[in-house]
Amino acid sequence: MKKESNLGRREFLRGTAVAAAAGAAWMAAHPRSEATVWQIDPTKCVQCGRCSTNCTQNPSAVKCVHSFQICGYCDLCGGYLQPGAKTRDSGAENELCPVGALKRTFVEEPFYQYTIDEKLCVGCGKCVKGCGVFGNGSLYLQVKHDLCMGCNECSIARNCPANAFRRIPASTGYLLKTGEHGGKERK
Amino acid sequence: MSIESPKRLIPGWVWAALTVVVIALVVVLFFTDRRKTPDTSFEYDLSSYTQIDPKEVIFKEAGRIPLNVANPSAMAIGPDGKIYVGGENAVIVLNDEGKELARYAVKGTPGCLAAIPDGKLLAGMKNHIEVLDAQGSSVATWQDLGEHAWLTSIAVNDQNVYAADAGNRIVLRYDLNGTLQTRIGAADTARNIPGLVVPSAFLDVAFDPMDALWVVNPGKHGLENYRANGDLVSSWYRMGMDLPGFCGCCNPTHIAFRSDGTLVTVEKGLNRVKLYAPDTSLLGVVAPPEGLLAPGSATMSCDLEPPVRDLAVDAKDRVLVLNNPKHVILVFEKIPNREGEAPAKP
Ligand code: SF4
Ligand code: SF4
Ligand code: SF4
Repeated sequence: MKKESNLGRREFLRGTAVAAAAGAAWMAAHPRSEATVWQIDPTKCVQCGRCSTNCTQNPSAVKCVHSFQICGYCDLCGGYLQPGAKTRDSGAENELCPVGALKRTFVEEPFYQYTIDEKLCVGCGKCVKGCGVFGNGSLYLQVKHDLCMGCNECSIARNCPANAFRRIPASTGYLLKTGEHGGKERK
Repeated sequence: MSIESPKRLIPGWVWAALTVVVIALVVVLFFTDRRKTPDTSFEYDLSSYTQIDPKEVIFKEAGRIPLNVANPSAMAIGPDGKIYVGGENAVIVLNDEGKELARYAVKGTPGCLAAIPDGKLLAGMKNHIEVLDAQGSSVATWQDLGEHAWLTSIAVNDQNVYAADAGNRIVLRYDLNGTLQTRIGAADTARNIPGLVVPSAFLDVAFDPMDALWVVNPGKHGLENYRANGDLVSSWYRMGMDLPGFCGCCNPTHIAFRSDGTLVTVEKGLNRVKLYAPDTSLLGVVAPPEGLLAPGSATMSCDLEPPVRDLAVDAKDRVLVLNNPKHVILVFEKIPNREGEAPAKP
């Protein structure tokens, strides 16, 4: 009885070793497909506002990001100022961002630099819309991977009216906007 | 002795009610979006600016000229009344009713065009001017303006060619042979020139009927009048979303003058075409957003090019608006007896 039991254990170990070797060989032949993450295609996003309300995180893992390469450093910034702002100062009544997350600093007459306070930004896309309509479209929304939980089914993607969410390789992570002359390339 | 079955213990209507409750729960939990919609403070609403009182509109659409060219991006009217439209790898020549008379092949898409009196055509090809003869053959290529150059407008008179380079924020004066004469518009405190502020690829130049050169300073939301030597004669700026103002980061995108000296302007963002008197007062609207086939201007997604790519006034003082996405020239005529004439000269 004891001998039979020893043989069984040996066979089991042998079988395990063979299975492990076969598995290793299979994995070597079929490298694991790369991990993917959710990201927003800025050319498809229509700034519907759902990125701020539909994320499982509060505040949303979606934040506004800025392409300095595309920005016109405008004084009358459509992303920073309310459409009807009578003056161009940075008084709260003139700011478009409902949570004051978009900041501006004077560079030289008449240019200003715009930055986003990520801690405050709720990803509503209001500034993105203003910049796209009146400016160069240098502000846009992205899922920040340090904040995103990587939900299997992104609850924003499920409700995005523009199909702007897609999975991209984790090594890429972001769909960044670049481009000269306001990112508006003439074909 | 009979045993009562469980079915009898729970009546049928209870089962039916339970089924309905379960279905309702499944629908509510899995097939509805119960998340709150964004608060109105998160909405970007331009409707109060895009809706224009019809009484303010003093022109009407008199016709549409369809364009058989890809990506129509530039337009000019020749001294003989022919309309030139530049698109992808082609310039088409139309008569004033829109009949195609000729088609020239070009390499690339002209960003601007201007016809010179001897029958030649100047095409702004991003970083240089290409000269085409009356048969459309390239007869000269002017200087390469460098990698940052972005030619957006050309204006021509009897002696000079003025080319607006939005990339380098400058207007270049050439003689008719393409020799550079003067650089106009660079900031110069000694000459009281503020400098051209050009946040995006829009910088326009045009002559008024008295042959004075007007240059748009888009980042300052106005126009500047220069002499041929680059001296600044006068300027006016009017930033604002309201009707008399120029909206956004950089407007107007295009200008043209009618024979009575009134100024036609095109804006992007709030897509609208307006008419100003020589004293700079607003006379009225040539075309509101819907008239430009751009009803969605306020909800336009990022990075769309503005629908209006060029503007011209023809010999009959009609306003011609080049609509790129619709592949059409919109022709506007003044509505008789509506306000909007230039004030009579004293
Ligand atoms: S839900 Fe889609 S369209 Fe709406 S803001 Fe987010 S990415 Fe843009
Ligand atoms: S307007 Fe919205 S998206 Fe833009 S910075 Fe503010 S919170 Fe973020
Ligand atoms: S995957 Fe989850 S955490 Fe990330 S953006 Fe979507 S809902 Fe938010």
